[in-house]
Amino acid sequence: MDIVVLVKQVPDTESLVQIAGDGVSIKKEEIKWVMNPYDELAVEEALRIREAKGGSVTVVSVGPQKAQETIRTALAMGADKGLHVHDPLAEGSDALATAKLLAAAVKGLAFDLIICGQRGVDEDNYQVGAAVAEFLNIPQISLVNKAEVLDGRIRCHRVVEGGTVVVEAPLPALFTTQRGLNEPRYASLPGIMKAKKKPLEVKTVAELGLDPAAVGAAGRKVLIQALRLPPERKAVRMIRAETPAATAAELVRILHTEAKLI
Amino acid sequence: MQREQLEFDVVFVGGGPANLAGAIHLKRLAAQAGREVEICLIEKAESIGAHSLSGAVLDLKALTELLPDYATRGCPIEETDLRDGIFYLTPRGQIRLPLTPAFMHNAGCAVISLSKFCAWLGTVAEELGVNIFPGFAGVEALYDESGRRVVGVRTGDKGIGKNGTPKSNMEPGVDLRAAVTVLGEGPKGSLMREVGKRLGLCDGKMPQTFETAVKEVIELPAANAFQDSPFTVIHTFGFPLGLDTKGGGFLYRMRENRVALGLVVGLDYENPMLEPYQEFLRFKRHPLIVGLIRGGKVLQQGAKTLAAGGWYTMPQLAMDGALVVGDSACMLNTRRLKGIHTAMKSGMLAAETALDALERADASAAVLRGYADRMAASWIRSELFAARNFGQALSRKGLGKFIAVGAQLLTGGRGLVDPMQTVDDAATLKAGQLSAPAPVADLDGKLYIDKLTGVYLSGATHEEDQPCHLLIPDPELCVTRCWQTFRSPCTRFCPGQVYEMETEGGRPRLKLNPSNCLHCKTCEIKDPYKNILWSCPEGGGGPKFTIT
Repeated sequence: MDIVVLVKQVPDTESLVQIAGDGVSIKKEEIKWVMNPYDELAVEEALRIREAKGGSVTVVSVGPQKAQETIRTALAMGADKGLHVHDPLAEGSDALATAKLLAAAVKGLAFDLIICGQRGVDEDNYQVGAAVAEFLNIPQISLVNKAEVLDGRIRCHRVVEGGTVVVEAPLPALFTTQRGLNEPRYASLPGIMKAKKKPLEVKTVAELGLDPAAVGAAGRKVLIQALRLPPERKAVRMIRAETPAATAAELVRILHTEAKLI
Repeated sequence: MQREQLEFDVVFVGGGPANLAGAIHLKRLAAQAGREVEICLIEKAESIGAHSLSGAVLDLKALTELLPDYATRGCPIEETDLRDGIFYLTPRGQIRLPLTPAFMHNAGCAVISLSKFCAWLGTVAEELGVNIFPGFAGVEALYDESGRRVVGVRTGDKGIGKNGTPKSNMEPGVDLRAAVTVLGEGPKGSLMREVGKRLGLCDGKMPQTFETAVKEVIELPAANAFQDSPFTVIHTFGFPLGLDTKGGGFLYRMRENRVALGLVVGLDYENPMLEPYQEFLRFKRHPLIVGLIRGGKVLQQGAKTLAAGGWYTMPQLAMDGALVVGDSACMLNTRRLKGIHTAMKSGMLAAETALDALERADASAAVLRGYADRMAASWIRSELFAARNFGQALSRKGLGKFIAVGAQLLTGGRGLVDPMQTVDDAATLKAGQLSAPAPVADLDGKLYIDKLTGVYLSGATHEEDQPCHLLIPDPELCVTRCWQTFRSPCTRFCPGQVYEMETEGGRPRLKLNPSNCLHCKTCEIKDPYKNILWSCPEGGGGPKFTIT
């Protein structure tokens, strides 16, 4: 069973995100970068399938030099090899262009199964997994919280309102992860040591045989007009009065006369 | 439990400036000597620098010795135009000291963010081939069969649930074995506590003393009063602590309209109702500071203790198989309010000693004591010896402080009594008045923030499902004697609101919020009954400082 896992490096959700001077991107310095949490589920699931069925796990990512840290993390968790699409021409890709790059990279690999996060927690587009499957012309199952590999097929469970849908697809196929799929393992210290020596191939847009005009900032179909931070939460106001009754009365007064909600 | 063992020549425990400088120096010295040296450095923070917090004015001496080409290597420096202003604050006003004492001159030094600086040192070390492992805490020293010789360190288990049972992703810690282990855990290290006790490293020394700093990095509007101020490095004393509590404030200029603002409080304070965080807010509300930071916004906040005891509190620096560096070894120069350069130098001297031990294939205490000799022959000794009584003098109350400090200035550090005794910070609280002043009100949530907003801005997170890393041997004591005598000072001295007293059926109950922990260690130092033991939580947890 040869498994490909698509991973992305994203800002830690605990990071303080600030909008850059251009108004359409975020300040990339001083942010902690981590593996997209949904991709951690994907790596873990791939490792479990490999442990049960044998085979290999290859991790693929598109991104700047720094994104190699995330590939190394996956290798430290136990993946076998990495492929990094790293090219200035690929920078600024939207979801569609990213999928094109990933599909082209995966095409050169032998695979039975592709697993990826349901979405990147940075831009929350939910598009890359489906688009990769489409480019590769293989079935896709999204938001999977349980996966079973059968003979030449995969059976996946997805939670829907009020129940679970069980879906099967012939391999090769792609599925995207949902919380609850598993508990990702830690990268162990010996694992990190070993990861340094594992193969990590780097490919450019030209090496993938793609038209530079179709990817990167040049190939964007989606243009970001502006980025705005959500409105800042006002400081909480504590109502303190002598008695509970007086506190309630003060709350009613504020809701009525100041907030004008009642 | 099956544990993997990994062998190295030298293991550095802790990724602060001392150990990072040590690892870099060792790698380069070994290369010059044509020797392969396998070095491992572990750090409990998620990344190198994420638990590093300091003012910080850096004396460039050690950095220049370590990496003369630091500027072209991209060393992150915030400000080099250092113009000192020292102010005595009264509640509403200030008096500028007409003269800056020679040791307080900062011209030629640089303002840095220690967090950024350490992250950068980490990349330098990694490029040289040091194996750096952030996210791994050293939780236990390993000894040989005699039980007296350190042979490495064990990293913490990961994936243990709240009740102590392993989760499905449980990852046992590993044993990192080395000829030489270098302990650079910072102030009040949890390994040093155990190793020190076992090997008597502090026997015959004066009690170590500490200070707690609360610090913020604030972004000012492009047009701000501080940029027009004649001073770029401001230090204050007096208000809000007064003359009976050691400590003072600082305000430094950083790049991009940012400033570093902080208050340091000596942990030998006596009033159990004192709350360092509230004192910090009062300092911030002083007209001098208000005028300089108006319109700003807090970007990051954090807290950290510093080992302020100095020369006479320095533990034994070498033992069989191990060395102690940096704040763990009390290398801070209290008089100059600086410890990064001495920490780095101590790491470098430890590196030289470690290489010597590797070459002789003998890492016994006899060889490793060469580190103490190197230290005694270096500028660390001249700096620290001149400051040997300074912290003690500052601990004097009221005007006696000026007499004691003045005497030191006149006698080159000897002062009126030499050595002046230090006092254990845990023993200084005085029972008595148990009413606290009203907390600072009208926090706007932007420039003036409460403790919990500060915790949020420190980025502190911990795996929630893990055993509590704060051990309270006698919880009953908290709600009886400690509450009655001191009104639970932990609820005040902790800058992260880890400790809260709740009443349950009319009886107080201690509630712990370990996830808020900023890893400052104030609790273990200041608890009057020594009833709090700080242990390392799961590796990777804690604050995520990037600009402090």
